[in-house]
Amino acid sequence: MTASSDTLTKVSTDAATELVNSFYPALGKNRDAIASFYSTTPTSILLNGNQIESGAAVQKIFIDLMPAAHYEAQSFDCQVINPAYPTITANGVKPPSEMTVKDMSILVIVSGYVRYGEGRDQPHRGFSETFVLVPNPSTERGGRRKGWLIQSQNFRLVV
Amino acid sequence: MKPSRRGGTSGGGIRKQRGPTRTDRDGDMDMERPGVRGGKRGRGDTGRSSGASRPQARARNLDLLETAVSGGGKDSQANIRQGQGSGSSNSNLESFSVSGWKNSKAAGKRDGGVESLTAFLERRMNAIVKSGPRAKITKSRVEGDILVVFVKRELADRMIRTNGNLWAGVNITVKRYDGSSTAALDHDLATSNGTSAATADTKSKMTEILSKRYFPESKILDLSKLGTDEGLRAMGIFNSTSTESKFFPALMKVWEMQFTNSTERREAVESVSLSDNQLANITVVTTLAQTIPDLKNLDLKNNNFKDASSLTGWRWKFRNLEFLDLTGNPISAVPTFKDTMLKWYPKLRVLNNVEVRTAEEIAAQKKTPIPVSAPVYQDESQIAENFIRGFFIGYDTNRPELVNGFYDKESTFSININTQAPKAQQTGTAGWDPYIKRSRNLLKISHLSARMSRAFTGAEKILELWNDLPQTRHPDISTHADDYLIECHQMPGLPDPTGQSATGVGGLIIMVHGKFEESVGGKVETRSFDRTFIIGPGGGLGGIRVVSDVLCLRAYGGNEAWSPESQAIPQAIPQAVAHPAAVAPAPVPAAPVPQLALPAGYGAPAPGKPDTQVQQEQLVAQMSAKSGMTLQFSEMALSGNGWNPEAAWKNFEELKAQGTLPADAFLPTA
Repeated sequence: MTASSDTLTKVSTDAATELVNSFYPALGKNRDAIASFYSTTPTSILLNGNQIESGAAVQKIFIDLMPAAHYEAQSFDCQVINPAYPTITANGVKPPSEMTVKDMSILVIVSGYVRYGEGRDQPHRGFSETFVLVPNPSTERGGRRKGWLIQSQNFRLVV
Repeated sequence: MKPSRRGGTSGGGIRKQRGPTRTDRDGDMDMERPGVRGGKRGRGDTGRSSGASRPQARARNLDLLETAVSGGGKDSQANIRQGQGSGSSNSNLESFSVSGWKNSKAAGKRDGGVESLTAFLERRMNAIVKSGPRAKITKSRVEGDILVVFVKRELADRMIRTNGNLWAGVNITVKRYDGSSTAALDHDLATSNGTSAATADTKSKMTEILSKRYFPESKILDLSKLGTDEGLRAMGIFNSTSTESKFFPALMKVWEMQFTNSTERREAVESVSLSDNQLANITVVTTLAQTIPDLKNLDLKNNNFKDASSLTGWRWKFRNLEFLDLTGNPISAVPTFKDTMLKWYPKLRVLNNVEVRTAEEIAAQKKTPIPVSAPVYQDESQIAENFIRGFFIGYDTNRPELVNGFYDKESTFSININTQAPKAQQTGTAGWDPYIKRSRNLLKISHLSARMSRAFTGAEKILELWNDLPQTRHPDISTHADDYLIECHQMPGLPDPTGQSATGVGGLIIMVHGKFEESVGGKVETRSFDRTFIIGPGGGLGGIRVVSDVLCLRAYGGNEAWSPESQAIPQAIPQAVAHPAAVAPAPVPAAPVPQLALPAGYGAPAPGKPDTQVQQEQLVAQMSAKSGMTLQFSEMALSGNGWNPEAAWKNFEELKAQGTLPADAFLPTA
C-alpha cells in the first residue's frame, strides 16, 4: 500500500512532535520514564561520543549520575526514511499485507540548548541530536503505548 | 530651507542631504567653533565632490563612521535645530532610556530591532492619546544596551507610560534618561557631521592614536589615561561630556574598520587597558564589548567604579575573560565583589592580581555530566568518508553535479533554522532572510500544507531549492579537521530501491557538525550547521544514494564544545601538539617515526583516575608519537619541562641534535 504524501507528512511530523514534547521533559523531570522511549534492540545510542548499550542504561545514567538538567528544543525537523519499515514481530517480519501507514521509520533532528544544574542562570549549552524512530512492535494495547521507539540516537553538545 | 530628513536615516542618503542642511543658520555658531574639527573647513567645502569618486566600500565605512560620530543619522536635524550651544536646558526635548530590548525576538535583525522598537514606541504613544498631532520620537541613538530616545516635552507623560510594555517577547523598561552626555548633544564632534571630509579627518587622527596604542605582537590595546593623550586633547575630545561620550564608540568604529573580516578583528586583541580614565560607570565605553567580545585580559585599574551596578552592562559580555583588574576602584572593597565577578565571568582566573580559580576548576566547569569523547566513526570501507569529502566541495562549487551524483527521485531534503541557538561569541548574527521561508522548524511550522511544501523530495526539487540558497564555503576537511565533528554508524531497514528485499537494505547514518562562510550583503558571515545524512545502496556515484538529508543552521557556535574534555585545559596544550598532523606538514616524506601501541586505557578517563593524570598521559602519548621516544622518556622530557609540551619538544630536539639521548630512549624501529 502507498500512503498519500499528506498522510505521510502528518503521521511523521506528529510522531516527531510527540517525541520532542515528551522525551526532553522526561530527561529533566521524569527520568523513570526514559527507558520506555527506546526500542529493546537499538542499533546505536551515542551521547557525546559515549556508546550506551540500551535505553535502560541511559535511564540509569540519568538517574544515578546526571545533575538537574533542563533541555529546550529550539528547532526540529523530521523526514520519513522508509514508508514501509520492515518491523520484526514475534512472528517474524511483518508482511506487507498487515502494514498500515504507521509502519514507517522516521529521521528526527533537534537543535536546542541544555542547562545543567539548578537555577536559571546556568549557561546554555547548545546541542544537536539526531533520532531514528521505528514503529513499536509490541501488540499490547492501552493509552500509554508509544507508537514509535528510538532505534538510534546521537546527542552532541555543539556550543 | 531645511529638507525633510525622514527618508534618509542610513546609508549614502545622509551625505547627499547634508550640503543643504548645513545652510541652516541655527547651526552656525557651533559648527564654526574653532579648533575642534581638526582641519576646519569652509562651509562651501562639504567634501561631496571627493565623496562621489570614492570607492563604494570606503564610502560605506565612512558613512558608518559618520553615523557613529554623529550618534546616528536621525540626530542630525535635531542637532542642528537645537544647536544653540547651550545644552538641553533650552531644548524642548526630553530624553528617555529604553532598556531590556536587547534580548527580544527582533535581536537577530541587523539593527538589533532598533527600528521596529522605535516604531513600536510611537504606536504605543499614539494609542494612549488618540487625538491631537501624532506622537513621534524626534531622535534616538543606541548606547550599549540602552536606546536613548528624545521626544517633545509634551509627550513625556505618554513616553513614560510605555514602561513595562511587552515588545517582541520582552518587557521593556522606559525611564527618564539622566546621562550627562545628553546635555550638549550639539557639541563639536556631533555637529561635525556636516562634512565627510571632517569625518575622514577625525578618522585619520583616531587611526593614528590607535596605532600608537596597539601592540600587535602582544595583542594589547592600551586605552589607559586617555585624558592625557595629546592627540585627543588636540582634537578637543574632552571639551565636553558629549564629545567624550561619542568619542569612544567612534574610536571603536575606527578600530573595526581596520579589519576586513570579523575573525581577524576578534583575533587582533587579547588585552585591553582602560586604566586611569576616571570612569564611574561603563556607559561611555560600553561598545568595547561589541567590538572586542573575546577579550581575555581587562585592566580597569584606577577608575571610579563604585559597585556592581556601575559595570552591569558588561555582565553577560566578555565570556572569555580570564584576568580582570579593578584595583584602585571602590568596588574592590565591596564584600560581594569577588563572588559577583566569579559569577559574571565563568572563565575568570585572576581578579585584582589574585588567583580566584585554578585551571582545573575552569576545566571542571566545562565538564559536562556526560563526558565529551572523541567521535564514534564506524565506516570500515570509507564509504561515508569519501561521500562527505566530496559532498561539501560539491555543495560549495557545483550543486547540480552533486545532486545528479547522489540524489535520486526518492531522496529527501529539508532545512530548519534555529534562530535562537546559543552562540560562541556575543557578536551579532546576520539575518536569516534567504533561509527563513524554507525553514521547516516544526515548532513554528504547524500547518500541514506548509509542512508539506517545505519538504523536498527528488533530485529535481532539491536542486531547485539549493539553487535558491546562498552560496557557501565550507572549510577543507583535510586541513581543518577540527572544524568538523563527524560521526557515523550503520543503519538497517532502509528502503530497497530495487524493491527486491522485503526486509530493507542496510546503509549508514552520518552526523556532521561544522561551520561555513557565506557572503551577506558583501560581508563574510560564519554560520554553524548540523547536517544528518542517511545513505544507502543506489545508482549514484560509488553505488550509493542519499536517502535523507536534513540540515539545521544556527549562529556560529565554534568548535570548542566537541573537543574532548581532557584536552580543554586552557593553554596547557598548544594546538600544535594537540593536532600534530594538521600543523606539521612534511614537504619531504620524513622517515616514519615508530609508533607504540599504548597500554589499554592509557590517556583515557576512567573512574577514580585524576584528570591531571589523564591529561599527562595524553601529552606523553603525543610526545611519544611525535618523537619516537618511549613513554618513559617522553614522560621525563615533559615532567622535566613543567609539562609544557613546547618546551619539552624543544628540549628533545636539542638533546637529539647533541646526540646525548641514549638508544633505549627510542622505540625500536620496525
